[in-house]
Amino acid sequence: MTRTYRWALSIVLLAVVLVMLSPILWLVSTSLKSPAEMASFPPSWWPSAPRFANYTDAISQVNFIGATQNSLTIAFISTSLTTLSSAWVGFGFARLTAPGKKQLFVVLLATMMLPGIVTLVPTYLIFAKLHMVNTYWPWVAWGLGGSAFLIFLFRQFFAGIPREMEEAAIIDGCGYVGIFWRIFLPQSWPVIAASVILSFTHAWGDFVGPAMFLSQDSTTLAVAMATGYVNDKGLPMNNLVAAGAVMYVLPVLVLFLFMQRRFVSGFSTSGIK
Amino acid sequence: MSVLTEVRRPAAPAAVDRRKKPPGLRKARTFYLFVAPWIIGFVALTVFPLGYAFWLSLTDSDGLSPRTHFVGFENYVAIFHDPLTLSSLGRTGLFALVTVPLSIFAGLLLAVMLNQPIKGRGLLRGLIYLPAVVPPVGAALTFRLIFDRDAGAANGVLSGLGANPITWLVDPNVRYVLYALVVWGCGGSMIISLAGLQDIPRELLEAAQVDGASYWQSFTRITVPLLSPVILFQVITGVIGSLQSFAPLLLSSGSLSGAGTVPQGNYLYMIHVFAQYFSASRFGYASAMLWMLFAVILLVTLLIIKVSARTVFYTVEPEGKK
Repeated sequence: MTRTYRWALSIVLLAVVLVMLSPILWLVSTSLKSPAEMASFPPSWWPSAPRFANYTDAISQVNFIGATQNSLTIAFISTSLTTLSSAWVGFGFARLTAPGKKQLFVVLLATMMLPGIVTLVPTYLIFAKLHMVNTYWPWVAWGLGGSAFLIFLFRQFFAGIPREMEEAAIIDGCGYVGIFWRIFLPQSWPVIAASVILSFTHAWGDFVGPAMFLSQDSTTLAVAMATGYVNDKGLPMNNLVAAGAVMYVLPVLVLFLFMQRRFVSGFSTSGIK
Repeated sequence: MSVLTEVRRPAAPAAVDRRKKPPGLRKARTFYLFVAPWIIGFVALTVFPLGYAFWLSLTDSDGLSPRTHFVGFENYVAIFHDPLTLSSLGRTGLFALVTVPLSIFAGLLLAVMLNQPIKGRGLLRGLIYLPAVVPPVGAALTFRLIFDRDAGAANGVLSGLGANPITWLVDPNVRYVLYALVVWGCGGSMIISLAGLQDIPRELLEAAQVDGASYWQSFTRITVPLLSPVILFQVITGVIGSLQSFAPLLLSSGSLSGAGTVPQGNYLYMIHVFAQYFSASRFGYASAMLWMLFAVILLVTLLIIKVSARTVFYTVEPEGKK
């Protein structure tokens, strides 16, 4: 490959990066504008005097702290339960045999293709009948059931661990629960990390679940951001929307930048092979 | 269970450790102990809700009043006579037809470029992928701000070029905002294609080079065929995702009860379903719509697999055991 070609490619890619990041830059720029600057046309590219008070206003205007706590609670419940449950089930599929296992595994893979939203609405109606709407119990139930995709990830990882490990443990009198807990789970931290990151981002980003199952007081940041920041006339206060959105998006972006490899490993193994 | 155990150990001495006696059966029991959470979850949170939705779809339930009547397949017949349902389905099809190929193509192009040995490609990959990890609500809010009539960057650019500002977030322009929002996340597609590219054996490409193949030839004859399962996977998940998309809701009011106010150009099938459930309280009809969507998704998936059977190239038998 020639030098000029390499340079041209780098320039094209840098332009792509700029285009891809420009929405985020605009979001940050808008979040620092004063109401006067928001009202002027054409809009300025960068605020002349950054107004950091937008951020404190964004926190006080909606129940930001409360919604963040709710988001974190739900994220904690579903991340820990989903990861543990998926590892447990994945171990079963990787290390044990039984009649019907093959068929069950096919069903597991097929459920990854199931349209989630189709089951979500009737699930809501059922939980409403059980008076479990507006509680976090639905997330406990979903977490305990595990995620088909993560079960598959754990299963792939556990299937690659040499058999001798398990046999040695059996000879020493260790049961399968012990083998899972003491030998396999501690080794699987790369998958655990991927699982924690993926379930956390999913829970943090989920909109329909909390919008359907939770009321205004118990809802998450995602829902609060989507509907909040309206003035007395019913018009959105866009600089506060931007400030709120920056604070809402930032944890995920930071997590991504520090744990990029885990994010990507979760995706690139996603059931293609 | 005990009968089986008896049969399997006719001559076993009584003093042998319990664990060693019926290894198969013990293992089977342990297997089901391990997969039980998933089976229970699958039955309780997927199979049962689907069944419940089907039962509801045969009634005129409004979710509140106890007087629900069994109406047979009336709701399903009504679907085919509801112009809003049919037009929203067509619009969703168009949405999939535009955004799925666009995202896959953009992702593939970027993957090919980022698979070249250039400086800092790890960082470039990360930055281009970044929009794909922005939560949907954050992404939709961002696009609402960019395409705001007065304070948005899009009209800022237009006025800089001397053009008149456009009202983006209403009909007929709002659909392009939706398309742009979806394609912004093409980094997800890029990562999957990139993983596929890295799996292509180097020897194949080197052998082609030795034989005098041009870059374009080895791309179309080796890379694309070997990548076809990965592309098929993206087509299927992309179409399934588009049919279920409710992104227009986030671009508009941002509340489920506001589904009815989504501009016509963005009134996708799921938006209509939400409007039926949460504004009109037509639970029976909306459940029939969900089942209809389920059937459409199954059909489209099977169709894609069938049509692609001739064009997709597997190095390993797809159902082959590892």
